[in-house]
Amino acid sequence: MPFNSLKYFLFLPVIYLVFYFVGERARWFVLLASSLLFYAALNVPYLLAVLILVAMTTYGFGIWLDQAESAKAKRVLLWCGVATNVLILVGMKYLPFLSDNLKALSTLLSLDTQIQPVKAFVSIGVSYYVFQAISYLFDIYLEIEKPERHFGYFALYLAFFPKLLQGPIERAGDLIPQLKTKYEFNYVNMRFGMLLFTWGLFKKVVIADRLGLYVDVVYNDVHAFTGLPLLLATYAYSFQIYMDFSGYTDMALGSARLFNINLSQNFNSPYLATSVADFWRRWHITFSRWILDYIFKPLQMQWRNRKNWGTAMALVVAFLVSGIWHGASWGFVIWGGLHGLYMACSVFYKPYQKKLHKALVIEKTKFLKYWQIFVTFNLVSFAWIFFRAANLKDAIYVISNLLNWMKGGSAKLLLSQGRLEAIILLGVILVGTFSDFNKGMQHLNKVSAVGRHIIYYLLVVTILLFGISENAGFIYFGF
Amino acid sequence: MELQDKLNEIFCVVFDDDDIKITPEVTANDVDGWDSLSHVNLIVAIESNFNIRFSQKELLTFKNVGDLLNSIRSKITA
Repeated sequence: MPFNSLKYFLFLPVIYLVFYFVGERARWFVLLASSLLFYAALNVPYLLAVLILVAMTTYGFGIWLDQAESAKAKRVLLWCGVATNVLILVGMKYLPFLSDNLKALSTLLSLDTQIQPVKAFVSIGVSYYVFQAISYLFDIYLEIEKPERHFGYFALYLAFFPKLLQGPIERAGDLIPQLKTKYEFNYVNMRFGMLLFTWGLFKKVVIADRLGLYVDVVYNDVHAFTGLPLLLATYAYSFQIYMDFSGYTDMALGSARLFNINLSQNFNSPYLATSVADFWRRWHITFSRWILDYIFKPLQMQWRNRKNWGTAMALVVAFLVSGIWHGASWGFVIWGGLHGLYMACSVFYKPYQKKLHKALVIEKTKFLKYWQIFVTFNLVSFAWIFFRAANLKDAIYVISNLLNWMKGGSAKLLLSQGRLEAIILLGVILVGTFSDFNKGMQHLNKVSAVGRHIIYYLLVVTILLFGISENAGFIYFGF
Repeated sequence: MELQDKLNEIFCVVFDDDDIKITPEVTANDVDGWDSLSHVNLIVAIESNFNIRFSQKELLTFKNVGDLLNSIRSKITA
């Protein structure tokens, strides 16, 4: 039941009404039951079992961790809890990848092993709630949080349907207290939630899916293109994935807001970042915070006596993990590795870069800022090639033919579906990429009631007229 | 106060700024240039100056200069 489906448009109001009319004491149960129902709607029964398994083991380890007296016992329990979660994740998501690569390796070494190909499980949502479970255990170990004693609330923290399939990856300390807060109808939240949901839907079905039409034509058959179409498709993908994922996040945040729950913001105009490190403070924020707190920082501290090399190594490892988290393929590994390398290099050249800017007297100038935004956007878009291409061979083809404009050919492809549409799309992308929804709401509140309603209807009409009605899946569903 | 003064000196050297005045309430947000990169340099400088070693758990839970001071104090008096 994706957020952009008719089923969800019916599910959400029905659940809200039930939630509203049952008493306060049953509300957590309504949300938990509806979240399990939402997950069950994927028609993959073992996923429910995995969710319950993760919830039960993590709940248990959390309480044991808190009760353990010695530092050593706490450490052992932490690592057992983390290992259980990692094993579940690996079992669900990475077995086919591991067996394929082991097989390739044994063939390479001419070993006679009998490795059977493994069938992949459907693992939608697992990587998100497993990461939440791990963060919960770490936070108890570090004594930042107390364990949750009420199993219902704990399970709801993992399963809450607006964030179950694609995040945001919430911290226990941010979400559980909100789930326990007494619900009172709040008109402002209701209106904000519905508008944010609609705005997200617009980003998804009007912009992302429409860009997807073009990106797919090129990336599904890259060898038929060279030069400009490849370049345009690569840039278009940068915007497609942003609109797709931030659209999804808006819909998640909007849905949760109906229940007076504020989920964490995942995006902050990422393509206005002035460095790759800055990009990661603005892109998939809840995930990058996770990688930073639980992988990068511990490694960086572990290797602190190696100075810059320690930090650089910690960055590369952390971002390789980030790549693998997205999926079991070499494309994701290289994508993560590239981001790690970008930042690892900057550890070394940053001091010289600062001196250079000083010498050229461009420090704190607008020119420098725009230049840095331009360079960062291109570095990020370059890495997306590995993310989008069907395989490494395609990715390498795209890179080696990106600037081969001589054979050009079908550069007009973008406009082939109507010049006007392309221009409208471009305007919408610019507005959507650089606008901040909260600021937009502030402006909207100053508009008269009639004006506001005109804007609402325009948004809905645009979705109906220009939205892609075939149900294109969300990109981040796969991770 | 002596410990805080000594720590202040280390801050001034690491962040290359003689005007830094630390108090127990100061956090990374209050000091210009105190990011994850310079944080490592700060920790390494403190460890070598006081000849102590922080644990991983301590390093991940320091919230402000006060936490840092308490930890240093407990280690040098131990």
